[in-house]
Parts: sequence; C-alpha cells; structure tokens
Amino acid sequence: MNGGNPAAIAFREVSRSFGGRTVLNGISFEIAPGEAFCLIGRSGMGKSVTLKLTIGLIQPDAGAICVGNENIVGMDEDGLSKVRSRIGFLFQSAALFDSLSLHDNLALPLRRLREKKPEEEIEAIVQKNLDDVGLGKDGRKMPAELSGGMRKRAGLARALMLGPSILLVDEPVSGLDRVTASEIDDLLLRVRKRDNTTMVIVTHDTREARRVGDRVGVLDDGNLIAIGAMGELEKNESALVRALVSEAE
Amino acid sequence: MRRYLDFIGNIGLFALRAARRVLVPPFEIQMILRQIEVAGWKSLPLVLSSGFALGLVLAFHTRTTLVQFGAQAVMPTVQSLAFFNEIGPLLAGLLMAGRVGAGIGAELANMRATEQIDAIEVLSVDSFKMLVIPRIVACSVALPILTVFMDAMGLVGGYLAELTASHLSVQLYLSRAFYNVSWASFIPPTLKTVVFGAVIGVISSYLGYTTDEGADGVGRAATNSVVVSSLAIILIDVVLVKAIFFLFPETAI
Repeated sequence: MNGGNPAAIAFREVSRSFGGRTVLNGISFEIAPGEAFCLIGRSGMGKSVTLKLTIGLIQPDAGAICVGNENIVGMDEDGLSKVRSRIGFLFQSAALFDSLSLHDNLALPLRRLREKKPEEEIEAIVQKNLDDVGLGKDGRKMPAELSGGMRKRAGLARALMLGPSILLVDEPVSGLDRVTASEIDDLLLRVRKRDNTTMVIVTHDTREARRVGDRVGVLDDGNLIAIGAMGELEKNESALVRALVSEAE
Repeated sequence: MRRYLDFIGNIGLFALRAARRVLVPPFEIQMILRQIEVAGWKSLPLVLSSGFALGLVLAFHTRTTLVQFGAQAVMPTVQSLAFFNEIGPLLAGLLMAGRVGAGIGAELANMRATEQIDAIEVLSVDSFKMLVIPRIVACSVALPILTVFMDAMGLVGGYLAELTASHLSVQLYLSRAFYNVSWASFIPPTLKTVVFGAVIGVISSYLGYTTDEGADGVGRAATNSVVVSSLAIILIDVVLVKAIFFLFPETAI
C-alpha cells in the first residue's frame, strides 16, 4: 500500500472477545498515512474497541496491530508509551481531568515529557492550541464549567498537544447540535489539512463520515462487512450497509 | 472462598507494584503534597473533634470505675496510655479509612468510568505512578501526624473531664499523664499508623483504579474501600500490637 511505504495503521486478523462475546472476529484493514478513515456501525459492534486496540489500551486475543512499522501487540509499557506519543485520542466524553483547569489539562502531557520544556514554552503551546479550537479565553475554566461542544474542542486541543501524526476520534459529534457538530468537523478538517494527520473517526453521523472521511468501514457482528468510499457503500449489496450509510440523511 | 483469596492476592500484587514504582522517578512531589493536603489537612477538623469528644467520654467512664477503687489519681496515666497505645492510632486510622479511603475509591473509580485514566495513559503518562503512588504515600505520611493530633486532643478532652470533676491543675494532670509513659509507649504505636495509612491507600486505590463497572462501580468502590480498609486495619493492628510487644517487651507489662 502507498507505494511500498508502511500503512499508518494496519489490523491483521484481529480478534477480541469480552466475557465470551466476540466483539471483533479476525478483522483486517489498512489505513494509509494522511488518510481519514471513518468507522460506522450499530452500537456495541466494536468501533470504540477498535480505537482502543489501536493505541494499546486493550490487547487483542489474536492478530497483529501495526502502527507504522511496529506491531504493538504484546509490546511493553515503554514501547507503548513511545508509540502513544505519536497518537492523539479524542474520547467520546472528552475525558478531561476534572481536578485540573482547562489550561492544566493541556499542559499535562508537555510537563510529563522526559525532555522537560521550559514553562514559558509550554505556556505558549497551550495558548496556541486553545486559540486554534476557539477556547483562547477559557484556559482558567474547570471542565465542569464547559459546555458539551467546548469539552469536545478542549479534548481535541489536548489530543493535539504532542503533535501526533495519527488522531483517533471517538464519536466527536455525538450529543451535539448540528451547528456545533459542524464546527467540530471543521476543526478536524483544518487539522488534517494543516498537519496531514492520519485520522480514524468512529461516528454514527453519516453526514460527518461523508464530509471528513476518505473511506468508511462498516463493522457489524464482529466483522468488517464493507469498506470503501461513501459513494461505493451506497451501492453495496448489503441492505444493512446501505441503511447505515443513508441513515439520517 | 476462592474469590476472596483472589481478591487478597490481587491487592498483594497491587501493593508490590506500588512498592516497586515508588522508588522510580519521577517522584510526583507536587501530586504527593496535594494528596497530603487532601488526606491530612482536610481530615484535621474531624480528627481533632473526634479525639476531643472521645477523650471526654473515655475520662467520664474511666473515672467512674477508678473512683470505686480509690485510684482516680492514675486517671491521667490511663488516659494517655489508652490514647497513645491504641485509641489514637486505631481511631485515626478508622476515621481516615472512612473519610479518605471512600474519597480515593470513588475518585479513582469515577476517573476510570469517565475514561480519564485511559486519557492519562494515551498521553504517554504512567497513570499508576501519577494517581496511585501519591495517594498511598500521602496516606502513609498523613496518618501518623493525624494520630499525634488525635492523642493530644484525647488528653485535652480528658483534662476537661477531670477539671470538672476534681479541679486538677494542668501541670499536675500532665505530669501524671506522662508518668510511666516511655518513648516505647508512644513511638511504635504511632509509627504503626504508617502501615495503616499504606493499607488504606493501597486498598482504596486498588478498588477505584481497577473497577470496570462504569458508573455503578463508583459507589461500590467508595463503600468497599471503607469496609475493606477498616477491616484490614483492625486485623493488621492485632499483628502489629503483638510485634510491638515482641520488639519492646516493656510496653507489654
């Protein structure tokens, strides 16, 4: 793929079960560097699990997961930590730290780097990232003071703090109104255009998948039942795939 | 039965993991100081008021009994030995298990349920080192200090009870309170609370950090932290008291 260059992310025959229930059943796919890949499917079909497997928060029962050239399955914590430093993760709930201000939420990963940065430099990077997501004046606020859309934008700003080459995004627009959802999508598109970031986006919103994604994968019952551009999926022979990609249009 | 043994084994492994990681940099000084404030400073009003009230009550009861034997003069000594040897350390430990243990269990379980711990991990930060170690260290450091305050307030309460009954002077009360009290009666029982603190920190952190029950797990982690920590403290106290008697035989007389 990609002229012999390794895929940014590659799943090979990955399986994962929870309590006897198979969530992923030997799925395989590759995502090219700079590509935006959307995962859609019904609830509980393993979309978020796929994201967590990609960053090593969960280990698969079988198969290989490669980030760049490195297979992260069975990797030790130090190795995972290095891989994770190249990946940003926007959680569905944003997962901001309740006890820290927005500013300190963003500063945390920089303050924890092995090669310490001067506080002034950290300050400048935090402010720039807050400005980028339109929260430049909200750094002193606590997460509880932020609206749903602001939390998502703050989560995105924090995910971008270490300048990741890969961004994993878990349902970025769930629970948001159309206007706010569109703003979040704009931010994702801007980040991708600016940094050529590889993105994996789990979403239920086909409008978002169409707008942000280059390709879309459809997960159902543990299997990746379809993969391709939105236009291709609309003509897929599976009624479920057609229903999922046309839903809410 | 096997479930309980698994549980105890897992807590043991969790404690071993903590013991290994506590000596590895970064040492999380800021986080430790913050947790000492939470576990120690914010527990102080509870400890002071409890120590004072218990000092009063213990003196009322003890005096009634001692008067029957004409031994009311030893009341201050009984009061100080009771607090230094057992009441202060044990009660401070139980109060910390209730207030701080529940807080640690609930806070970490909430962080797990809301994916905050996962968020720390994906930022290439060691969540165990950042969240668990400071709480265990803070409990171990704060509890002996709280115990000293508990002991002091127990004596203050005892003095007030004695003052109302016999108009004893402060000087005489203190000289009787510390008569026959050696360092061995004070230091080892106070230092055993370092172990109590570590037990509270380990158990509460384990129950919160490892929960996988989502929002339901938050309340359960808080409740179980108090129950298991309190029970563990009482059981470990039996062992530590025997160990102190063995190491400092004069305290057993």
